[in-house]
Amino acid sequence: MSINIDFEHKMHAHCETGTLVGLLRHKGFNLTEPMAFGIANGIFFGYFESKNFPFPTFIVRTRPGEVRTKLAKSLGIKIKDFKFKDPKKGMDKLDELLASGQAVGAQVDFFYMDYFPEWMKVHNNVHFINIIGKEGDKYIVSDSYHREKALLDAHSLQKARWAGGHMSPKGFLYYIDKVDSSVDLEKPIKKGIKKACRNMLNLPIPFIGIKGIYKFADKINNWPNLVRDTEHLSHEIMKINMFLEDQGTGGAGFRYMYATFLKQASEIIDDANLNKMSERMMLIGDDWRSISYFAAKIGKKRDLGTDKIKELSDLIRKQGDVEKIFFADLKKLY
Amino acid sequence: MKEKDIYVEFSPQEIIYYAEKEDSSYGPVSSGAQLTANHLDDFIEKKRKLASDLRQQVINNEISPIYYYAVWLEMGEKDLATRAGISLRKLRKYYQPKYFIKMKVEKLKLFADVFDIPVANLFQNILIGNNAQEQISLKQERTKNEFYHITKIDLKK
Repeated sequence: MSINIDFEHKMHAHCETGTLVGLLRHKGFNLTEPMAFGIANGIFFGYFESKNFPFPTFIVRTRPGEVRTKLAKSLGIKIKDFKFKDPKKGMDKLDELLASGQAVGAQVDFFYMDYFPEWMKVHNNVHFINIIGKEGDKYIVSDSYHREKALLDAHSLQKARWAGGHMSPKGFLYYIDKVDSSVDLEKPIKKGIKKACRNMLNLPIPFIGIKGIYKFADKINNWPNLVRDTEHLSHEIMKINMFLEDQGTGGAGFRYMYATFLKQASEIIDDANLNKMSERMMLIGDDWRSISYFAAKIGKKRDLGTDKIKELSDLIRKQGDVEKIFFADLKKLY
Repeated sequence: MKEKDIYVEFSPQEIIYYAEKEDSSYGPVSSGAQLTANHLDDFIEKKRKLASDLRQQVINNEISPIYYYAVWLEMGEKDLATRAGISLRKLRKYYQPKYFIKMKVEKLKLFADVFDIPVANLFQNILIGNNAQEQISLKQERTKNEFYHITKIDLKK
């Protein structure tokens, strides 16, 4: 079987937004990645300690899948999606959609994306790719994190689509059925901003939003008691940099992407206040980036005494203070 | 963050950041992944040391190979138990050598699939010496028999 859909592959900052805007672009709707992210109020913070993770962790965006569903609802995009218990049915459906010329988004476990280097392999069930063709027993993949289109063999794709575990993909596929590219973005932008402010300021859960940032600042002081040895602590501290910068956030834990959304929004709805907020968010991003650099520095040097961990904790707490004021001011606009 | 301050040359992993461009607009900038570019060697060295420590613990019968891979691949125990279709209690038993040796092949295969390794690798560690790594390539290929892999050792071209 040989299918090669004429699909424009591009790299994006983040897999879920990148996959989505790629499919929208394919349907003639040129929505930017930051705009998709912002309208779907993707910006977030959460601190988690769970047996699903090998170590305490934090997240900087909303639950995976929500950007797609919220954007679809906000802009009236019709999405057809599928889940499959039976891998054979799931792979057959994929082949059927491809044969009909449909580019398809899929949720996969990142671990099985064999076109990435070995040192990047990590089990993460919430990676999103577009599948845009098939050559023999290999699928043509448009992955936001890969410079070019990639080939992935059917065996690996099947394992990736039906990997079990936390937030299992369950063979999830979707495609864009209908989209109105002339949709007015003003209301969705304002709605997205309001919801983002609510998520960061008002959710009554102690490890979510601004409270989540403070929780992270507190709990990191205990990390030295949770590790096997200094090497382990170094690894976990340096992962802070990785999660903020290099794992598909656009830099600074999505704060740079959100600043770009606010800037683009200010132009679309002609609101100078939003432009000012975008500049503030860019500076907030710079401070998160400083935290990333600090974490990488002390991690690499193994300079991980109580004083340095406390210094890191204080930097994170300060981000909580700054973002609290920021989102409170942003909330006042709409 | 300004566009000119972001760029790092690192072709093995390129990513998209958002930054302020020269014309004061904000937009996507392609760059090498900064953390990886600056710290990949440290990351790989840490993983190597961890593998070595864990390997010694397996040899000493202190941990099972299941625990080795769970830690090395940084898997949460609830996530791993769910992927293997077993309870947390059972997973913790399998972390211990005395229960590992009683595991049936089908159960071992479930774990091997999660770790993406041949079942045989739960009973061996194939190491290429430091001096030979530049010259030797090692591939473990699937066959139609899902319990049987071919390990190919060859000179790199």
